[in-house]
Amino acid sequence: MTDLTEAPMAKLEDEGSNGRTVLWILLAGFGIVMVAGVIAGFVGEHQADGDRAFSDFAIGLIAGVVAMMAALGVAFWRYDKKLKASGEPMTRREKLNRNIILTCGLLGGVMGAVMAAGGFLNAPDKSADPLSVLFTGPMPVAVALALVFFWAVVIPVVAWFWHTRAIDEQEASAYRDGGYYAAYAYLILAPVWWLLWRGGLLPEPNGVAIFLIFSLIWSAVWFWKKYR
Amino acid sequence: MKNQLKVLRAMRNWSQAELGLHLDVSRQAINAIETGKYDPSLPLAFKIARLFSIPIEEIFDDGFDGGPDGKA
Repeated sequence: MTDLTEAPMAKLEDEGSNGRTVLWILLAGFGIVMVAGVIAGFVGEHQADGDRAFSDFAIGLIAGVVAMMAALGVAFWRYDKKLKASGEPMTRREKLNRNIILTCGLLGGVMGAVMAAGGFLNAPDKSADPLSVLFTGPMPVAVALALVFFWAVVIPVVAWFWHTRAIDEQEASAYRDGGYYAAYAYLILAPVWWLLWRGGLLPEPNGVAIFLIFSLIWSAVWFWKKYR
Repeated sequence: MKNQLKVLRAMRNWSQAELGLHLDVSRQAINAIETGKYDPSLPLAFKIARLFSIPIEEIFDDGFDGGPDGKA
């Protein structure tokens, strides 16, 4: 056996995982998008309600939400700076991986905005429940086809590129594990929900909710396995 | 699976990211291998062995100490 006891200790300090920093960046970015949606929804609702002058309470509420958005922006900037400050070299795969994930996040934001705009434009009743307008309400056929193009044509190409060129084997393993957890969650939860609905204990199974739960479990396990 | 990757890396005075560059994997992957949270594939294990010019079994230890008669 090679004698490994004389190794210099200069670079043996625990470099650890940067998962927590990445998680905060993702949460802050997601929070910014959500808060922006709250502001847009609030203003849109106000305009639909006759566009009267904002009350002091409404102005205070908007100011509070804007302050929250600013705080999230500062958090995003600080954690991103911390991640970059390490000055670590990145492989070509890592750079490509980062760029693909950022692009997908951007595309997801655009798709969400288009979906929200399409849903609200087509909403028959302006006072309808925003969740049903977003997820189950009718939308213009052009918007629906544009979203389908993104989801059925662009996403598979990006996914193929990501799997073959960008990720390494450790991330591929984390992604597979996420898929197993999500698949079993689906196989167990979906029939349970269906049976409980038939037994009159739960409302009718909602495809969008099942899809979101499936995606959330897959993403959470992928993140945990990659960065733990 | 236990391994000597962290020590071997330090002998070359490389950071995790620098070792990742040599193996074309992320720093996160190196960290996961060093801490025993991820066992590399056989191709990556061979790549690591070639990089450090050491047999695989001197880098990775699966805890097997031979059968009752000393044979595997």
